[in-house]
Parts: sequence; C-alpha cells; structure tokens
Amino acid sequence: MFERFTKDARRVVLRAADVEAAALGASAIEAEHLLLALSETIGVEHDTLVDALEAETAASLDAVGVSLRPPPPGRHRRRFRMATSAKVAMHRAVQAAVATKDLEITPKHLALGVLKAEVGTVPRALALAGLGREALAAGL
Amino acid sequence: MVAGSTTVDHLETAAAIEPSPEDALAAVAALRRLADRVEDDAVERALRDAWTWAQVAEALGVTKQAVHKKHAKRLRED
Repeated sequence: MFERFTKDARRVVLRAADVEAAALGASAIEAEHLLLALSETIGVEHDTLVDALEAETAASLDAVGVSLRPPPPGRHRRRFRMATSAKVAMHRAVQAAVATKDLEITPKHLALGVLKAEVGTVPRALALAGLGREALAAGL
Repeated sequence: MVAGSTTVDHLETAAAIEPSPEDALAAVAALRRLADRVEDDAVERALRDAWTWAQVAEALGVTKQAVHKKHAKRLRED
C-alpha cells in the first residue's frame, strides 16, 4: 500500500505512530493521530489539535455521565497496529489521488483523506475547536 | 416563566439520560480509549507490585496469552 506514498507522506504515517499515538498512550494508530501528524500540512497549530481532541473526549464521556479522565500515558508500544479509522483515512487518501489522476500519495492527499470523515472523533474535535472541515480541505 | 424553565429542565434531564445517537456512539469510542489507558496503567502498576502475568490475566478476565501479547513488549525492561 505504501509504494505510492511519497517520502513526506511516509514520514507523516511514521510520525502518527511513533510520536502522536505514542504520546497519547494509544494502543493503535487512529485517524486523529494522522491528523496530528498533518498539522503543518493543514495549517493548524499542533497544540490546537491536541486541545480539540482532548475536548472531544471530555465532551463524549460527559454525554454518558463519565467524569473519569484517562490516566497519564505509561510506557508506550513500539509497534502500533493500524486501527480502522486510520485505514479508512488512508483509503480515502488513495481515492483522492485517483480522483485527480495523481500518481503519488502526498501529505495533501492524506489530509484530504482524514478531513473527508463526516462522523467520528476527527470531525467532532474539529467542530468543537470551531474549525471547518471543508474550509481546511479547501485550503490545502 | 416557571413553566418555561421547567420545560428546559426536563429537556436537560432527558439529554443527560439519553444522549443523541451521535454523542452516544462517540462516547463508546471515548470509553474504549479510556478503558485502554486505564488497562495500560493498571497492568503496569500491578506488575510493578509483583503481580504475575497469570494473576493480571485472571483479574482482567482474559487469557494469559492475551495479556502477554498486549503488554509484554511494552513493559519488558531493557
């Protein structure tokens, strides 16, 4: 799957695992970790995205009356499996490249793939931060 | 005015009891992330307190192989 990824796009995926998923104590690479790794590409401060995702988790837990918050991450994994949300985002990145007849998958395609999701953690977090998904995609 | 605020209270109570499908589904995703993090933390502390893998597995209600596969590499001292 990665053959068509540019060096920069591969770097984004590696960063999503080794930096973002690790820092958040995640057990798998999710779409939100790709989003964080793409902060420069989409032109939103990394901290803003981290805060938005934290707010999304808090709001979602509050909605079912859960006030417990995740403990600080402990020792993280060295290998991360790719969760469905990240696989879907990568699949959409490939579709975005096909749609514009681009032969290579660039970070821009990855960003389009991540921003395409209409439901789930990423669009909820962006909405909570007042960031328009479509405006971000249009600005790429 | 009293009647109006009562209606709002009712709506707020209803929302607290039954979140929208979108919020409820997002809550499930957030609870899974929360459970993963609580598990990571609890397993790490149990092993530090000299629990065996077998005890940790039984306490979690999973097989020893499952808990080992999920946490051994992460927690191996080296």
